[in-house]
Formats: sequence, C-alpha cells, structure tokens
Amino acid sequence: MSRLGRVRAETAAGWRAFVRRRTAVFFTFFFPVILIVIFGALIRTDPGGGGLFAEHPAYYVPGYLAVVVLFTPLSRLGSEVARHREGSRFEKLATTPQTRAEWLLAQTVVNAVIIGLASLLILALVVVLTGAEIVFSPLLVPYVLVGVVCFCGVGAMLGSYTDSQDGAVAASNAIGLPLLFLSETFVSLEQLPGWFEPLVNLSPLTYFARGVRAATDPNAATSAIAGVDPALANLGILAVLAVVFFALGARSIPTTD
Amino acid sequence: MDTAVVAEGLEKRYDGTTALAGVTLSVERGEVFALIGPNGAGKTTLVRALTGTTEPDSGSARVLEAAPSAVDRDRLGVLPQSFSPPDRLTARELVAYYAGLYDDHRDPEAVLADVGLANADDTWYENLSGGQQRRVCVGTALVNDPDVLFLDEPTTGIDPAGRRTVWRLIEDLADSGTTVFLTTHDMAEAERLADRVGLLADGELVARGTPAGLVADHAGSSRLTIETPADQTAFEDLPFPTATRGSEVVVREVSPADIGRVVDYLEQRGIDYSGLSWAEPDLEDVYLELADETELERTDGTALARAGETA
Repeated sequence: MSRLGRVRAETAAGWRAFVRRRTAVFFTFFFPVILIVIFGALIRTDPGGGGLFAEHPAYYVPGYLAVVVLFTPLSRLGSEVARHREGSRFEKLATTPQTRAEWLLAQTVVNAVIIGLASLLILALVVVLTGAEIVFSPLLVPYVLVGVVCFCGVGAMLGSYTDSQDGAVAASNAIGLPLLFLSETFVSLEQLPGWFEPLVNLSPLTYFARGVRAATDPNAATSAIAGVDPALANLGILAVLAVVFFALGARSIPTTD
Repeated sequence: MDTAVVAEGLEKRYDGTTALAGVTLSVERGEVFALIGPNGAGKTTLVRALTGTTEPDSGSARVLEAAPSAVDRDRLGVLPQSFSPPDRLTARELVAYYAGLYDDHRDPEAVLADVGLANADDTWYENLSGGQQRRVCVGTALVNDPDVLFLDEPTTGIDPAGRRTVWRLIEDLADSGTTVFLTTHDMAEAERLADRVGLLADGELVARGTPAGLVADHAGSSRLTIETPADQTAFEDLPFPTATRGSEVVVREVSPADIGRVVDYLEQRGIDYSGLSWAEPDLEDVYLELADETELERTDGTALARAGETA
C-alpha cells in the first residue's frame, strides 16, 4: 500500500503539473501532427521510387509513433529532472520515504498516458491523411508502454547529467534526432552504408520500429529472430533494454548534492 | 535528555573551499537549536550533512541514533534552503502531495491552518507571494508530524505577521516534544525560539550556548547610539567608553539612568545630533562581535590580495 500510495501521490502531482503547462501539452500533440502533415500528406511517399519516403505509407507508422514515444520522454524527463534539481526537490524527496525508482515510475505513468493519447491521434491521422493500411494489433499497447519506460530512463539520465533545463533539452534533441532518423524508422537499412548497420542495432528505437512494423504493417518484410515471431522478439529485446535503462535512469537521479 | 542529533568532527570541502572544518555539536530531544552565521559559513552544508543529502569528507553524524542516510524517513521533516516545489500546483495540492508520500500523515488542511494558509484558494504556487510560498514550503516539512525537524532559513521572505505565525508554530512543535534544528539570519528569531544557539563562521562552530549565555559572554554592555556628524574627539570628556561606527557614535556601559548625563553633555558642548537610541546587548551584538571578526579577516585578506595584484 505505501509504495503504491507514494507512486499515486507523485503521479497525481506530476499529471496536474504537466496538463497545466498548456504550451507543453499543445506541442506534445502538435509536433507529430505537423510531421505527418508535412511528410505524409504534403511530400507524400513514393513507393518504388528513390530517395527518402520511398516506402509505402504503412512503413512509416513506427516512425511517426517514435516521434512521441522517443521525444516526449527524453525532453519531458530531461527537463523535469533538471527542474527538480534546480528547485532542490530531490534534496527534499531524499528525506521522505519515496525512492528514486518510485519517482521515475510515477513520471513514466504520466508520460505513458500522454503518449498513449498522442499515439491514438497519430494512428488515426496516418490512416486518414496518408492512406496507410495497417493492422491495429493489440501489441501496439505494450510496444508504446515499454518504449515509454525505456526512454523515460534515458531522459532521466539526460536530466541528471546535464547542468540545467536548457542543457537537458539540448541534449535530448542532440540524441533524439539522430535516433529518430537512424533507427529504421524513416530511413531503411538499405539506404544507409553497410558499416552503419551495427550502430542501428545499438539503438533501442530500432527494436521498437522493427517490432511495431512487424505487428502493424501487413507488407513488412521483418525477419524472425532466432525463430521467434519478430513482433514478439523485438518486444522482448525492447523490454530488456527498458528494464536496463529504467534502472540506470533511476540510479542516476541525485539524492545528494 | 536523550540526544536527537550528533555531529562529530564533520568536514566537507568543495573545490578547495572548506565548507565545514570539523564541526562537533549535539542537539537534545525536544530542543530548539538555532544555527546562525554569515552567508557561506557552512550552515546549509551542515544541514545537508545531518539530513543525509551530502556526504561529509570526514567525521560522523547521527540523527535519532542512526546514520543520516538511514534514519526512518517517517520521523524526519526537512525544509531545504532553496526549496521550490512544483510551481503549478496550489498550496492545498502541494501539501496533500507531500502528505501522500507518508503512510501516516497529518490532515493537509490542519497543516495549512498551522502555517496561516487555511484560506488558501486555487492560486498556483508560482503566483503566490514570496512569503506565502515559503509558508507552503514550511508546511511540506510538517506533513508527517516529524520527531526531528530541520528548517533551513524557514522565514526568509515572510512578512513580520507571517513570521510570527511560523514562530508560534515552531514554539508549539517544541512544546510537543519535536526537536527543531533551524538556521537563520534573523537574530530575533534565534533569540526568541532557540534553547541554544550555535554560531558558524568559515565552517567552524565558533560559539554555542543559550542566547542569554552568549550575550553575557560576547555581546558586551548596553549601548547608547548617537546619530551625529561630530567627531569621536568631541566625546573625549564623556566618562564612558565610545566608538565611532559610520555616522554614529556608540557610547558603551550606559545605564538607563545615565542617559540624561549624556544628553546634558551634548547640550553643554553644543554637539549636533539627530537621533539617540539605547539598547541592551543582544544576539546581534554577539553575531557582530564574533562573525564580523572572520568577515573582517576575509575582506582584509581580499583587500591585501588586491593591493598585491596592483603593486
């Protein structure tokens, strides 16, 4: 009860604090929408042609989802941790029964709700604006949740190891942008130099993209991993990475000066 | 009495600067201990070392018979000096939030009433006045009804009426057996609230004792302060020791009955003066006597260093 109670109290406070930042709420939803409008509706995909956006519309569903699953936790957690440090809030929390993992779990729950709603909006827009033909697999739910857990951990580390909110936001952009475009989201492996493939495999977002694609795109050519269905295998890998990054993120949160 | 807080030889350095230079002290259960000292003296570092939010380089500390990092958090209340809670929550939401972190907590409404915010409306923390904000912060340290309460400058920014509300609250807590360790720059606050006072300067506890004991030992005698453009030499024939402080002449060892003699002296010599005030020695005199010495040493050192640079 006590652990649950602390997470509940932190989640309620975190939720209120977030939804009252109207600008942050607006751009959390507006950013992926504008990307879909620009790339999916204005530029449009060109199946079979060369260059970027050469795949069929459903191929890019993981990429559009990644905009919120990756960016929102990185920037929100990064700046939230930095804000907490600047206000001596962790110094205060360190003298309460709440643990760092409980704090991060509560922030993750807030992010999961926001990102879950944004993901629904993205899926609807992708289907309506780009004509993507996708399967609404139930696996989308654990993918989004596990992805949020993973990147909340990374965001917590960014906030802990940078020295200000500005630094945390800059770091999240510097890390998020390359990951977003080089994790088999918008650019396929074939379009990248061969030597780059190992780096793609290092990105947690790659397993999110491959798995979501395997689960939602009926035309996807995602290969099985050790004989396991790619939709499940990639989820398993992402889950392991999520546990690792969540633990590292919680551990990075300062309890002393 | 049992000891609630013990520090033995605490030392802490930051990038070559000594924050704590072997601080040893103890605070009994139910006691109010006030730590005073100049900015940068090490007060906040000492509070952090005692609450487990900084690791001392050497020395040890115990709070409620446990290491600071291992104290039962349900029994500890802490208000950090530069604490700023989530700014888009109301006072009521903030107190309820921090209460929710404890299994056993006080009614948030009662806590708000204690800090004089019973009528708090739906204004977000960021839109409250500085004094109201600080009172909310004090409230967050009280939600778990702690046995030991650390308050790092609790009344900074609070108006006089609000300050008295917080003082009465601390007095009530002490009466009910709560141990209070507070830091302050307000000598009246320390003198009114504290059973004992410690003066920290340059990381060292240079004096400690009851407010009355410190005043008797270090504050000197009563003083008559004369605001006058006249030079100290004009007071040479006055049968009391004098000293010049800016545009004031301070006459020492003047009893209330002697004030008339000083006034007569001024009138007879035709010495202009615009104000006259008499005061018993107090904790501020102790502070000025002891902390000013280190401040002077520091500023003299700086001045000498600058002189050396330009020479």
